[in-house]
Amino acid sequence: MKKRGIGIGSTFYGTGYGNGFPDVSKAIVELSQEGEIVLYVGATEVGQGAKTILTQMAAEVLGVSVEDITLVCEDTSITPDAGTAAASRQTYNTGNAIKRACENLRDEMIKIAVKQLGLNSSIGVKVENKKVYLNIFPDKKVSFKEIANLQGEETLKTEGIFTAQTTKMDEETGQGAPYWPYTFSVYGVEVEVDTETGLVEITKAVCAQDVGKAINPKLIEGQIDGGFAMGLGYAIFEDLGLHNGEIKHNRFTNYLIPTALDVPDLDKIIIEAPETTAPYGAKGIGEPVMIAVAPAILNAIYNAVGVRITEIPITPERLLKAIKDNGKNKLEEGKI
Amino acid sequence: MEYKIVGHNILRVDGLAKVTGKATYPEDLYMEGMLYGKTLRSIKTHAYITVDTKEAEKIDGVIKIFTHKDIPHNYYGVLFKDHEVFCSKKVRRIGDPIAFVVAITEKIAEKAIKAITVEYDEIESVFDPVDAMKEDAPLIHDRSNILYHYKLRRGNIEEAFQQCSVIVENQYKTSMVDHAFLQPEAGLAYMEGDTVVVCAATQYPHFDQLEISEALNIPQEKVKIINPAVGGAFGGREDITLQIHLALATWVIGKPVKTVYSREESFVAHSKRHPMIMNYKTGADANGKLLAMEANIIGDTGAYASWAINIMRKAGVHATGPYEIPNVKVDSYAVYTNNPFAGAMRGFGAAQVPIAHEQQMDMLAEKLKIDPITFRLNNCFKLGSTTATGQVLEESVPLIQCIEAVRHKLNSKANDTEGV
Amino acid sequence: MKKINLKVNGVDYSVEIEEDVRLLDVLRNQLRLTGTKEGCGEGECGACTIIMDGVTVNSCMVMAFQAEGKEIITIEGMATKSGLHPIQRAFLEEGAVQCGFCIPGMVLSAKALLDKNLTPNREEIREAISGNLCRCTGYNKIVDAIDKASKYMGKEGDVNGI
Repeated sequence: MKKRGIGIGSTFYGTGYGNGFPDVSKAIVELSQEGEIVLYVGATEVGQGAKTILTQMAAEVLGVSVEDITLVCEDTSITPDAGTAAASRQTYNTGNAIKRACENLRDEMIKIAVKQLGLNSSIGVKVENKKVYLNIFPDKKVSFKEIANLQGEETLKTEGIFTAQTTKMDEETGQGAPYWPYTFSVYGVEVEVDTETGLVEITKAVCAQDVGKAINPKLIEGQIDGGFAMGLGYAIFEDLGLHNGEIKHNRFTNYLIPTALDVPDLDKIIIEAPETTAPYGAKGIGEPVMIAVAPAILNAIYNAVGVRITEIPITPERLLKAIKDNGKNKLEEGKI
Repeated sequence: MEYKIVGHNILRVDGLAKVTGKATYPEDLYMEGMLYGKTLRSIKTHAYITVDTKEAEKIDGVIKIFTHKDIPHNYYGVLFKDHEVFCSKKVRRIGDPIAFVVAITEKIAEKAIKAITVEYDEIESVFDPVDAMKEDAPLIHDRSNILYHYKLRRGNIEEAFQQCSVIVENQYKTSMVDHAFLQPEAGLAYMEGDTVVVCAATQYPHFDQLEISEALNIPQEKVKIINPAVGGAFGGREDITLQIHLALATWVIGKPVKTVYSREESFVAHSKRHPMIMNYKTGADANGKLLAMEANIIGDTGAYASWAINIMRKAGVHATGPYEIPNVKVDSYAVYTNNPFAGAMRGFGAAQVPIAHEQQMDMLAEKLKIDPITFRLNNCFKLGSTTATGQVLEESVPLIQCIEAVRHKLNSKANDTEGV
Repeated sequence: MKKINLKVNGVDYSVEIEEDVRLLDVLRNQLRLTGTKEGCGEGECGACTIIMDGVTVNSCMVMAFQAEGKEIITIEGMATKSGLHPIQRAFLEEGAVQCGFCIPGMVLSAKALLDKNLTPNREEIREAISGNLCRCTGYNKIVDAIDKASKYMGKEGDVNGI
């Protein structure tokens, strides 16, 4: 028999290294001799979209398009240390560092433009479309290229550093502010449990994801899809099959991860609540998108067939046994 | 506020290279005259070893075989330096690196690996973290197997549980799982003047640079990491795998050396997600307000610490779930065993505890005859809430919005489905 | 050593091979068409998917000598002089790419599907890429992209990509 049920999982996730450990990101932005913007930052693109959203933040500050910025992140000899691409920290931490570096560059270019254009002050001076101009008289302008030329050999470079704020917790009581900011996720699923085979299918899913502010909604949706799939695998399939310290499931033939047939279409809801300490309000989401999935599935299974699975993964054997035991218990209690 | 670029669906800047197959992952790099490196790994979980490479060295085409004798500082690790680059006296898990063969072809390197003899003098192993915590358990390192104990104390749980109308108590367990990123570890190292360049997919190139310079005992400026396209990571590329091996081989031999792991080797080479045993007791009053929670969480970090301390701390901090609970007691432990080593993986300790706290929430709701969503709304963090660690949530806490959004959609969906 | 002749992306090649190498090794190590990836070496992940005589195969499961006289399309053969293949364009536009490692195989599986069926439904798309593992995207945006590509190709007529 196939039985359906719904369930939700609700989670929070503290991003960053945490516990008072200095969580520092550095970035350098350069106006090249050709008047191009080059961003140097040791933040790794692992597929999460760091390169894209970090470039977007820089482009926003400098009033240029994403295509006008070259982001260099692959070489330790020319990039400053931006910390690890982990702890869902690159958007918040490195985003802040980049935003600061770019604001510094923007301010430097404005200073140069004020002098070059013979203006009284920087009031009303805008940076846009690769030029610096006076907004009430746009003919008063100087291009990025012209500013670069004024620099000669020594290019204009500015740095941005961001250090996140957390405190070390008390060793006896655990009291303190170990992470900042926190990201919230609430995911709900409908499952269909086959009580003959023990197979679980996710028939519907709704994912409400707090993001602070979405820098790139499509990339966030992609993260939610990917996090959901990983959470689904964690709940239902994945187990290394450890036996006396040996990994028995060490290939894709026996270590099963979800395929396109296992993952449902998701109803993805991006919830925005900007965080003032964050770049444009954006918080990290790379990990939060994964953690509410498995509990939602577990609760939905209970809703469907009335059994609690307290050990994951929910293999068909485990689920069938639980259903059988549950039936026995109910018989004994005289409920059936 | 409206922005011109932020908030818009800008196409991925690395997308074009990836859809055309031009994105370069480390295994896509080739150099003239490059050599191949292959790792010999432990096949025992806990043993003293004696390694003899003499026969293997005689094989035609073998350039050099590196062991612990060849590494200036034979240690590394993200937090504790408890890994050896090559095991010197003992192995602590299956997969521990023992030697690194460099040869002119991959086949010869494989042949040489088979020709190395390793004598294993086995020691008692321990695989269950609960057993590993006992006084008489075999020690994995020269210290207690309990490498960390996080304590969270808030209010008075004993008194609070007495005031609870409903209490649920359960044990939850999670399994050890793998990141299973699609691109197995690979790398190419070469000399650029007197600088050793390592091209490998990593999550933190500057940290790799530091660890390589320490292990080789050379200045950091003499190490350069090139981090080409990375084929997924999820935490599994935080701990060093082949980077020091490649750097050492190239530094000594002077020629480019390449290594590509098979999927099977990838499985034993990198960290895993900590399996956890979580004992939970949660109570609420008759009005459906959470009053107390007690959790005891044991995390199996396997043979090495990796990020175990940070992960078990994170599990402890997140053990309550996103709920206001005035009385909380959490103890979480990181424990060494002879299992594969566990480290960072997406969720980092906060992926395991929701398996427990969210089922506790539903069970309490059922006992209280409140629907699970209302029960969560009654207790969840909102602006101004204080967490169990005493942290005040000052802004950006849209949890109620998230719950309401899911309630709305899930109900409308459930209504579409007959029989629910 | 043995010599084989094969056509890859419209170009004729004559390659000296060792008897025990796989087609994947020839493509990557000898022709340096490194867009074809190796994720598992046993035909489970689909990262090495190519099209051989119109049918998708895992090139890690094909011995090089079996490719004698065959016509092969790899990811490098998808874009035309006038630009990206509609499938590639759709992948880019739909945000179907994350780490990118599975993408060459995905694109070729999509092509094999759309060459046969220009109006697949989402289930048929999922079926067609079910042999291609992806750990990043959760597949949904890949399905969106293939759906979109089918519409592009329906409008633009027959696009073979070469």
